[in-house]
Amino acid sequence: MVGLKGEIMDVGKDAPIIELKSTSLGFDGHEVLKDFDLKLFEGDSLVLVGPSGSGKSTLLKLMAGLLKPQSGAVLYRGHDLSTLSKKLREEHLAEVGMLFQQNALFDSMTVFENLRFVIEEVEGIQQALDRKDDILETLEAVGLDHVLDHFPSEISGGMQKRLGIARALVLKPRLVFYDDPTAGLDPITSRKIVSMILELQKKWGATIVTVTNDMMRAYQLAGRCMVCFPGEFLKTGSAEDTKAFADPRVQQFIRGDVNGPLEAL
Amino acid sequence: MIAFKKVTKSFGARTILNELDLEIPQGKIVFILGMSGTGKSVLLKNIVGLLKPDSGELYVDRFPVHQMSEHEMMDVRKICGMVFQQPALFDNLNVFENVAYGLRRHFELSEEEVSRRVEESLGHVGLKGIEAKQSHELSYGMKKRVSLARTIALKPKILLFDEPTTGLDPISTSRVNQLILDLSNQLGTTSLVVSHDMESALKVADHIVVLDKGHLLTQGTPAEMQESTIPLIQDFLAEVGAP
Amino acid sequence: MIVRSLNGLGDLLMYLGTVLRSALGSWRRREEIFDKSLLVIQQSLATTVFAGFFVGAIMTLQFTLQVQMFSALSYLGALVTSATVREVGPLLIAFLLSGKIGAFTSAELGTMKVSEQIDAIRCLGSDPIREVIVPRFLGIIIASFFLLSFGLLFSFFGGLLMATTFSGLPWEQYLSQIPRVVSGFSILSGVVKCFVFSLVIATICTYRGYTVFGGAKEVGDGVVQAATQTMIALVVADWFTTFILEGLINV
Repeated sequence: MVGLKGEIMDVGKDAPIIELKSTSLGFDGHEVLKDFDLKLFEGDSLVLVGPSGSGKSTLLKLMAGLLKPQSGAVLYRGHDLSTLSKKLREEHLAEVGMLFQQNALFDSMTVFENLRFVIEEVEGIQQALDRKDDILETLEAVGLDHVLDHFPSEISGGMQKRLGIARALVLKPRLVFYDDPTAGLDPITSRKIVSMILELQKKWGATIVTVTNDMMRAYQLAGRCMVCFPGEFLKTGSAEDTKAFADPRVQQFIRGDVNGPLEAL
Repeated sequence: MIAFKKVTKSFGARTILNELDLEIPQGKIVFILGMSGTGKSVLLKNIVGLLKPDSGELYVDRFPVHQMSEHEMMDVRKICGMVFQQPALFDNLNVFENVAYGLRRHFELSEEEVSRRVEESLGHVGLKGIEAKQSHELSYGMKKRVSLARTIALKPKILLFDEPTTGLDPISTSRVNQLILDLSNQLGTTSLVVSHDMESALKVADHIVVLDKGHLLTQGTPAEMQESTIPLIQDFLAEVGAP
Repeated sequence: MIVRSLNGLGDLLMYLGTVLRSALGSWRRREEIFDKSLLVIQQSLATTVFAGFFVGAIMTLQFTLQVQMFSALSYLGALVTSATVREVGPLLIAFLLSGKIGAFTSAELGTMKVSEQIDAIRCLGSDPIREVIVPRFLGIIIASFFLLSFGLLFSFFGGLLMATTFSGLPWEQYLSQIPRVVSGFSILSGVVKCFVFSLVIATICTYRGYTVFGGAKEVGDGVVQAATQTMIALVVADWFTTFILEGLINV
């Protein structure tokens, strides 16, 4: 298990692990975020749910440091992500895991190699050789230890998703981003994937942020919900609070009602 | 009516449809449910001859699809409108030409008749007046509806939907379901919807068919499905959200 | 593996047969074919002209050193032009086209295939070979001739410029021997090669795009396969046509 080490650790436990400070971001003159603030603490589970095109994936990528805000700052344990020193950037990389919407698996590598590659990249080749047991443990946790030598194209869609999750988790990150982890999967497989995410969170205790457009998954994740609409992100609280949230748009979205303030499609 | 008789279809070593026997009743909205990879899309593609069964017989209306050539299949494709999972619009054509595409090729129509049918179809999907737009100017949802208009412009007797709500948010899902219901009623078609969304099926379908591992697992009305004790059906039902 | 390659070749030839049969009735689609040819020419003209100019220049530099050894500088123009028309020109244009248009076409068709546009065309009562493949196929072949002409023209200028500036040969002398060496047969040979090469590119690249099965990754694989197979097929075709043409001249 990777311990927290070095300067990042010094900030103290009460400081947020991620903080957005009046961040703004837009594309082609179309504003996604404006002066947006958010604090995410150690052990939190944040669920971003909302219709397509509401900017929830953009917000996730901003928190993960994959996008830069046009103004404002993204702080990781109190450090501005855009000005991290080389050493801190490496620590940040090792502490953050990400599951991409399309899995972004390496097709030319086997299941095992997909995980080993991450360790090689972040910690070096020697580390990767020494940590075979960690790789096997992670693959076992997602139930893929029987297909180590298969290529991604040889396993099912659900298994590819689990491999994506294993790859995001192999470095035992403190913070994991799941970008629509059940996209395109049937509901039964989706339920299993989210159960697994919850189980792994319990086991290794990371902070997680999940994007989904499926209310059933949001309820199942049972974290702090944020319902995202174009240009507005509503902090609606727990799953129960969200169900009872007064905003008519939230109610329309939850019920999947065609009639209401939100336009469908 | 569509009838599968012991239809088998494999890709390499993977058998997708395994001696499937299935009859789709006429004039109904029929949902075909199953987990990913159980051959639901393959089933649809066999009906319109985009794929050919390895063995078995497949009848669509009066046509023996399993023994027809690509050329002969044109008659089947005139009566079977396929709505693809992705919008599959032609990038280099505007909305009008996209919707008119099949009309021009399947039928000999006057230009006025083509215009009238295009306008009518776009009206059905709530998109009147966007004829001149290019497909890249449209949102994803609009593309999906244009592709639906393109299919119904042919006035098919049978509408085939390939996972129409997969990946859509709840509101868009309801909108698509509403469209399927309205179109099927207005046009009097048989609609065959491949999906893994039990909630939509319960709301929209007259009849539900459940496939598992290339076989027919069970079928019945939505009410019968809700009473089912089969574990897979119960798993699907567990995913139906609160009303 | 050999059996599989032969099978693959068989499929490719069957595909070519289908495309050629559909191409026969394509006169009424001439506008679209014209458009596609124009597109190919637009995309490649600048590169072809640029490369043609420099090939002429390079060939002149190379040959200057050699003919000087035999004090035959007056043959420089003839040698350079002959080599360019018969061999280097067509092959160079073919490589350029395969890199630019070949990759573009296979990626475009592959994307149409995986986004179900090709299936949609079939469902809407049309033949994708006739509608989509033939215009691109003929477009590549027609455009090649234009590009070859332009490429050769500019290689000629490139050669002439180098001859007068670097080799110190007056332009009249550079031109003087060309008619003696560059015969009608040389030109015919260049044209035949150009046709064969463009046929190879058009066939392989449309076929690889059209037969993509799967998703975005498979489109990428198809493009890479198209590129490598085209390169291999081009050098084999070059050897083969040279062999046949030289055989003809000796008969």
